[in-house]
Amino acid sequence: MHDLRFTIPAEELNREPFTRASPDFSKKSALMVTDRGYKCRITNIVPLSEHERLFQLRIVDPRERELFAFRPGQFLMLEVPGYGEAPISISSATSHREFIELCIRKAGHVTSALYEARPGAFVAVRGPFGTSFPMEAMQEHDVLLIAGGLGIAPLRAPLFWINDHRDHYRNVSFLYGAKEASQMLFAYQFEEWKTVSHIDLRTIVEKPDEKWTGRTGMITSLFEEITIDTKNTWAIVCGPPVMFKSVCTHLDKLGIPMNRMFVSLERRMHCGMGKCCRCMVGSTFTCLDGPVFDYWSVMNLKEAI
Amino acid sequence: MNHLGFDTEKLKIGSFDFTCCEGCQLQLANHESTLPEFLALLDIRNFREISSERLDDSDIALVEGSITRSDEVERLKAIRAQAKVLVAYGTCACFGGMNAQKNKFPKEECIRTVYGDKQIDTMPEAHKISDFVQVDYSIPGCPVSKEEVERIVVSIATRSPIALPKYPVCVECKQRLNTCLFDLGEVCLGPISRAGCDAVCPSGKTVCLGCRGPADDINYASFTELVRDKGLSTEEMREKLAFYNGFTEYLNHEG
Amino acid sequence: MIYKVISKNEFRAFVDALVRANTSYGPRQVDTGRNGEPVYQFMPVSSASEIAFDYTVTTSSAKHLIMPFREELSKFRFRDGDWDQEVRYDAPPIVLFGLRPCDINAINILDEVMLNGPYPSPYYLARRKNTFIVGMDHLPLPDCFCRSMNRHTVSRGFNLFASDIGESYFLSINSSKAYNFLKEFETTEPTEEDDCKLIERRKLIKQSFKTNVEVTGLPMFLDLEFDSPIWEKWGNKCLNCGSCAMVCPTCYCYNVEERVATGLESSSRQRRLYSCNLIDFAEVSGGHNFRPKNGDRLKYRYYHHYRGFAINDNQQICVGCNRCGRTCLASINPKEVINDLRLEKESCMTCVSPSPQRS
Repeated sequence: MHDLRFTIPAEELNREPFTRASPDFSKKSALMVTDRGYKCRITNIVPLSEHERLFQLRIVDPRERELFAFRPGQFLMLEVPGYGEAPISISSATSHREFIELCIRKAGHVTSALYEARPGAFVAVRGPFGTSFPMEAMQEHDVLLIAGGLGIAPLRAPLFWINDHRDHYRNVSFLYGAKEASQMLFAYQFEEWKTVSHIDLRTIVEKPDEKWTGRTGMITSLFEEITIDTKNTWAIVCGPPVMFKSVCTHLDKLGIPMNRMFVSLERRMHCGMGKCCRCMVGSTFTCLDGPVFDYWSVMNLKEAI
Repeated sequence: MNHLGFDTEKLKIGSFDFTCCEGCQLQLANHESTLPEFLALLDIRNFREISSERLDDSDIALVEGSITRSDEVERLKAIRAQAKVLVAYGTCACFGGMNAQKNKFPKEECIRTVYGDKQIDTMPEAHKISDFVQVDYSIPGCPVSKEEVERIVVSIATRSPIALPKYPVCVECKQRLNTCLFDLGEVCLGPISRAGCDAVCPSGKTVCLGCRGPADDINYASFTELVRDKGLSTEEMREKLAFYNGFTEYLNHEG
Repeated sequence: MIYKVISKNEFRAFVDALVRANTSYGPRQVDTGRNGEPVYQFMPVSSASEIAFDYTVTTSSAKHLIMPFREELSKFRFRDGDWDQEVRYDAPPIVLFGLRPCDINAINILDEVMLNGPYPSPYYLARRKNTFIVGMDHLPLPDCFCRSMNRHTVSRGFNLFASDIGESYFLSINSSKAYNFLKEFETTEPTEEDDCKLIERRKLIKQSFKTNVEVTGLPMFLDLEFDSPIWEKWGNKCLNCGSCAMVCPTCYCYNVEERVATGLESSSRQRRLYSCNLIDFAEVSGGHNFRPKNGDRLKYRYYHHYRGFAINDNQQICVGCNRCGRTCLASINPKEVINDLRLEKESCMTCVSPSPQRS
């Protein structure tokens, strides 16, 4: 028999009715938000290339849909129930609240499962997490966006943002390079970005096939084509580490300050909340202090590149 | 589970044994608490321990045992030709297993010791099945862990990739709060053997003999140094490493 | 904090009542080592007689009783073409008895890691709120270096702390629950003599440390020595077995994995303690490993422990219990690694002897 005089009473966490409002962590009742996902229906799957597809998701609950807001450059944790979670950068426009678009390469077990999914399937997202591109600070300046391969995925959100607020920005250039022409993603939007958004868009391919009529070479050779007002330019660079390193080194030589160049780092987050330590770069969390970093910080991060 | 838009299909499965104790196959019928659910995932086409069906149209062939006779090679190749997925099932199939003990001795001596003067057709060495056929997946263990088998079968049924732990047994052993067997003066292969068994042997105070083979990228040099530093017998260590034949590349490399 | 003095017999009776009435864990001898030394672990206890009151140190810390090695974060229940997510973070109350100051300090550090920052963990909070901690002081073992980390005393994070002052214990009562339980037992107000004994006891403990690890300025040293050859040297010894992280009272890095039930009716998302020394800790989808070498991974563990992470105010999370050092089969221990690092740096700064060749 337990002596009730010495039995410790269970302490409950304060649990007010489950709320989706932006988390107020002084109230422990809001804690639940971080581990429960927003249920989403896959509304469309667009094949982009042999290895990449665009998944369009719609948050099922209308109230939750309204609450889900993000900034360009942020990522979310995509949960495929039964398979696991993977960090994915958000590829859609921040102003477009009806759908979330994710450009996904089949790489690990979660994305492989997603590739098995059909439109109508239910998945979940947690987030958004992480830092974003400083779109406001870039206003009244030139913006230079540079992407390599799948690096266009996190760049779509800032591109859409610029389109939404085109008057606030001066010259906007977008340089996009891919290994092969068939790996060039979102080519169907290029015309729109050029003519409607007035973005100086230039593409280049490393290994051209017979159909490719554009420029051939490394992405850095596109710099010869454009004039950069280095005093007034902000740069966003996304791509594999080798690519952004060479691009940023180049931009540095041209005279763009390192704290005006932004890159997005990729690591395999397991929690997205600065707890699991899987995405550490040096002593910095990619999920909290990143994924968007200015290049000065990246240069000072141990083991970043 | 069909929320992604596809239904899980029953896996047409066949189980085949070669030179072995059939203990791994028996594991399939073990773990009663989830046995009905487990069997519900399977369409058993050929499996003499739990079914009288003898069909040869299985998609997944679980192959148990090592190869010790030339006629086994032919049978194995026939299974491979018919199966979509061939799984090396258990330590014998994965590494040669305990049967490979005979590899250290002259063939004639082995036959004489075991069978006397009887004429026996046997190969000089016991082989792992990947010496003859391509293996799609390996499930090591002596015997295999039923939990792991269930997990892998569920993975195949849900079209999920299959992965074994890359780290060594120590991780699981420490989580079970076992006393390190080195501290008790024994040579344990836990630090270099692949986990996934939930450290079942060390938890029973029996040293790990590495039935699941080496973990990924093990530090063999440091391990041998450790055995020496603790004043333990390197001869004993080599015997243990040879027990299931999973560490041949390290033993051979050492010369 | 309220202070009382209790006789050793009465304290035993109190502990007995406490552990009988609750799910409790305390130090128990589980083995006898190769050289005849007892081996202790924090194990379930249901009476005072099962507890080794005079234990030296447990092989593994009490961390897993607050952060289990494996814990369910949420469950997905599948129904036709759809699913429901279940998130639960209820924890039954438990008693942790016999924790050392370093162990309690370790829990305080975990509190900061798990409960500070933008995303406090409800799972951790639920367990932590329901954990009743009784601490006990002890004389350090020859290899304890908690004094170097300034973690040899503790002033918070426990419900009750007992200091051995000879015939009785000097109790620091830090919760009303503990105070109420103690009302049923005979305690006295500390006399001046008791206070003296407590001070003597503390002095004795402080003077008994035989191992000193010089950690001043270590964060900067670590940054400067990021490419030091000593990481490769110690990395070459490392077995990548993760034992250090498993027994460590503050190693918390984890893996999230999902397990589908055999009947396919549900799936469980689980948090699992991992170790940065394990080969695939920094592996990303597609197979790239950001820390492919033993030395890279070992270095990372030392960075986390002795440099700290920005989000936690660059706090050093090592408490100096040396469980990792005792457990490591390859004889890697903080004292020697840090001394090596210092030697390397100091020899370089004074230019008396050349640094080892960098490769």
